[in-house]
Amino acid sequence: MSVVLRTQLAGVGRRPARLLLTGLAVLVASFVVYATVLAQQITERSVVGGLSGTPEAVDLVVQQGDVRFADVTAVGRLPGVAEVAVRTEAYVQTPAGDLIVSTDPGSGPLSTVTLSQGRYPTAPGEIAVTPRTVERMDLRLGAGVPVTVGEGGKQTLTVVGVVQPPADAGSLAYGTPDTVGRLTGGDWVDRIDLRLDGGGDSSGVRQQVVDLFQGREGAPEVTTGAQTRLAEARAAADEIDQLFIVVRVFVAVAVIAAGLIVASTFRIVFAQRMRQLALLRAVGAGRGAVSRALAAEGALTGLVAGLTGVLAALAVGHLIPPVASAFGSALSGPGFPLLEAGLTVLLAVLITVLAVLAPALSAARVAPLEALRSAATTGARQGIGVLRTITGLLFAAGAAGIAALVWSRLPGPGEPYNSAETMMLGVVASGGLAFVALIALGPVLVRPVLAVAAWPLRRLGPVGRLAVGGVGGSARRAAAVSVVVALGVTLVTGVLVGGDSIRVLATREAAAAAPADFELRGPTGAALPAAVTDRVRQSPDVTRIATYRWTDGVSIGTMLDAAATDVPVADVPRLAELDTVSGSVTGLAPGRAVIGQIVAELDGLRTGDEVVVGRAGRQIRVTVAAVLGGQAPLHTGILLDAADLTRLGMPAAPTGLLADAAAPGEDGRTAALRSLRAAAAGQPDLAVAVLADQYDQINDALAMVLAVALALIGLTVLIAVVGVGATTALSVVERSRESGLLRAVGMSRSGLHTMLTTESALYGVIGAVLGLLLGVPYAWLAVSAIGLDAPLTLPGFQLLAVFVVLVALTALAGVLPARRAARVSPVTALGTD
Amino acid sequence: MQRQSAPVTDRNGPAAVAAVDLVKVYGAGDTAVRALDGVSVGFERGRFTAIMGPSGSGKSTLMHCLAGLDTATSGQVLLGGTDLTQQPDRVLTKARRERIGFVFQSFNLLPQLTASANITLPLDLAGREPDPVLLDRLITTLGLGGRLGHLPSELSGGQQQRVALARALVSRPEVVFADEPTGNLDSRSGAEVLALLRDSARDLGQTIVMVTHDPGAAAYADRVVMLADGRLAGEIHQPDITSVTEALQSLAVNR
Repeated sequence: MSVVLRTQLAGVGRRPARLLLTGLAVLVASFVVYATVLAQQITERSVVGGLSGTPEAVDLVVQQGDVRFADVTAVGRLPGVAEVAVRTEAYVQTPAGDLIVSTDPGSGPLSTVTLSQGRYPTAPGEIAVTPRTVERMDLRLGAGVPVTVGEGGKQTLTVVGVVQPPADAGSLAYGTPDTVGRLTGGDWVDRIDLRLDGGGDSSGVRQQVVDLFQGREGAPEVTTGAQTRLAEARAAADEIDQLFIVVRVFVAVAVIAAGLIVASTFRIVFAQRMRQLALLRAVGAGRGAVSRALAAEGALTGLVAGLTGVLAALAVGHLIPPVASAFGSALSGPGFPLLEAGLTVLLAVLITVLAVLAPALSAARVAPLEALRSAATTGARQGIGVLRTITGLLFAAGAAGIAALVWSRLPGPGEPYNSAETMMLGVVASGGLAFVALIALGPVLVRPVLAVAAWPLRRLGPVGRLAVGGVGGSARRAAAVSVVVALGVTLVTGVLVGGDSIRVLATREAAAAAPADFELRGPTGAALPAAVTDRVRQSPDVTRIATYRWTDGVSIGTMLDAAATDVPVADVPRLAELDTVSGSVTGLAPGRAVIGQIVAELDGLRTGDEVVVGRAGRQIRVTVAAVLGGQAPLHTGILLDAADLTRLGMPAAPTGLLADAAAPGEDGRTAALRSLRAAAAGQPDLAVAVLADQYDQINDALAMVLAVALALIGLTVLIAVVGVGATTALSVVERSRESGLLRAVGMSRSGLHTMLTTESALYGVIGAVLGLLLGVPYAWLAVSAIGLDAPLTLPGFQLLAVFVVLVALTALAGVLPARRAARVSPVTALGTD
Repeated sequence: MQRQSAPVTDRNGPAAVAAVDLVKVYGAGDTAVRALDGVSVGFERGRFTAIMGPSGSGKSTLMHCLAGLDTATSGQVLLGGTDLTQQPDRVLTKARRERIGFVFQSFNLLPQLTASANITLPLDLAGREPDPVLLDRLITTLGLGGRLGHLPSELSGGQQQRVALARALVSRPEVVFADEPTGNLDSRSGAEVLALLRDSARDLGQTIVMVTHDPGAAAYADRVVMLADGRLAGEIHQPDITSVTEALQSLAVNR
């Protein structure tokens, strides 16, 4: 080992905590990487262990081919076969929505359901439903269910029992093969499960089954139960694998962030050791030896941080299953994936060595004379070199160029568009280039951002001014750490803005398709009986009742056979959210109409144009008051004033009504649904649609995706915050003389504490400002590039919350180092070198 | 131990700052070091006093205790009649901010602040406006006129120390403490700074206490207090280089 390396390592040995602080970001990154590996292991093991739809008792499976009801009997008669179960399902429509009716033996080892109430169906026409189906579709025991099968065939099923299925989706029923066979109307079945006699020769029986289908075109596959279960489990695991591919992309971004942070912390650490390095150079150490020693130190840091991170992840991973079982969910342990552990540590070392290279090379360039300088005023370089400026500008130009290219090719409203993937790739590439440019030009950008963002702070007094000065005084350092914060904020902003745009889009589309919680209507165009409307109006469970007329067979300009409605905009609040391309929905009046996007495009109609609307031989001219971004409400082409619809010969009686639940929540909705069904009782043609559920499903799915994305981006934010903490801690050590002086000339302990915490928070402010400046435009570009015609929105409160939370987090990261610095006595601080 | 707060006076009336039977012990048990071993000394108002002594004599410790930067083990520090020894950090901080000025060997300017911002730093911290007349006079006297907008890294050592001196004087403190103020300067800059210290005592009536081990520097003072092994070891009034050097030599012989 060289003397130089030994000197450096001895220094590390004296302060092991410093080593860990330098490598903290790598520690967190390797923890995250290995935790991801373990999470995947836990998920796959748990799922493969538990989620196969095929019961354990199934020995052979006949599927994927021409299998018929007649075959079930034939297979069942084969010697060695103890029991067969046919699996097939029928989709039927009921007044309360679609229902899936599946076959199941109902009891015995081949059954997938357990009876919880009533009895299992035995006769044709009897069904058992799942508990959630009882709740959702109001199918009580003993109820008769009128169902429509295929093209208009009608049957009535009777609910005789309630069963618990493996997974309850809420529209599931079970019956005998006879029942399901009648519903499907065909001879085919999906698959046959076989259970063999105990000790039977499974391959012999399998051969017999294969022989049975010999020569048939599309002969089915015959597999063992074990194979089927494995294949089903694999399919489930594949979905998990795909999910984890997405997770890995985010983890990779976090690892890059960690690399940037570590590079910055090494730069600070080496700067603090400048005099010592200069001394080594003065007594004859070569530049190469110095940089090699520093790089070796980096590798050691990576090794220690990586190992610690992996061990911590392993500890947490093995803690999860027992903790989960204490909360009643069974999870498998992650095991000990050693190869992945080794690779993670290797990655940690690699990232750290890469990160340490540039700082080590520049530290080795220290002039030997530096050692003889008495004052520690080796002022940090503020600006950036010409080469770096040019590189940064080139990358910025590249980013701007690609962004401009994407911008110029954005589709106009309604234009055909099929290059969304390429365009998104362009957005991502431009964003990546912009980020590299930000890294290169960061030190130049810090001061202007600081000047604006910290303006109120300067006014707050000397402590604030000193904090701003402290951050601005080391612009390169501030840039290095703020850029990582900016990366996190950019990603968060992108997700929030994108999510908000899509939510608004979904809300607008839902406003047209589902303007109220419930819709009650008869068959196409038929009038709603007045008695029903009266009963609905008297119900306390529903509110905002609006009756409307709906008719098809309408011509609008050159479009034939469109639908029209006169749903009253004023009575249905959600219609105010309709997405208009031009004009306003409130402009609706006799002689003025609101038209859908397709109608407008077909004839090139714009707001103010006149269009001829015809129905049943009559024609009227109306002026376009507004053009919508999608369909007109209730899946129509045109929204007319009631008087105009009457002029077209439409009878005055309403054809349907919209209503909202009077009480909020699931209970209010159920009560409203029951009361609407009661109002429509005795009118089998009337159907109640729960539009609110569609609305909620969209919102729930979106909220879920956003939550997952934000959690993953949280990793990068976490590493950024760790970086801010480490930078502040190291800066405080480096500037203890400065702290001592400030205390000596009369800054109070709390003042110093506040100043250092504020500096830490300022890294967050700079990062958040840069992140918002980058994130919002890129999110808008991405939203436009998807080509959904989604609106560009600015979720101000959410972004403000991001800003506040991030600044708070970075301030928090500085609290500990600040407190330590404030506690040191001024004499000690002044005495440190 | 009986604490006596005998009025410490000198020819010019009550002292600006005084130590009474001051003891400072570092460490405990076998490794305990008595850096100050019962020092009683007063520093008159409006005069320039140097504290001298060989390395390890306790001169820096004495200054740190007098300035409220360090706490004494026993005894009293009287700053204009206030006992600093038993005060909480809050009071010491306020005293340093409003009643004491510092000049350090390594200048200790804040690198991110301009010369002018460095000068007004203690007043900024106290939330006070500088006296414009005094500020102008200091800037002129110290020859800093063209340098106010510069950062410390753009100034020479002598200029930096003159900025530090202006910082110490601008708040009209009761005492300015200077810790080896010429230690990092070449002889010409050092002489300039010492002359400025002497003049501010003479012309502005500023009380100045300087710690030094350089007889040449001590010769600028009105009075030299000698310290050895944590105890007072004599004093010289109106010193010159010869008398100070001789006194130091006799200290070294007596040890």
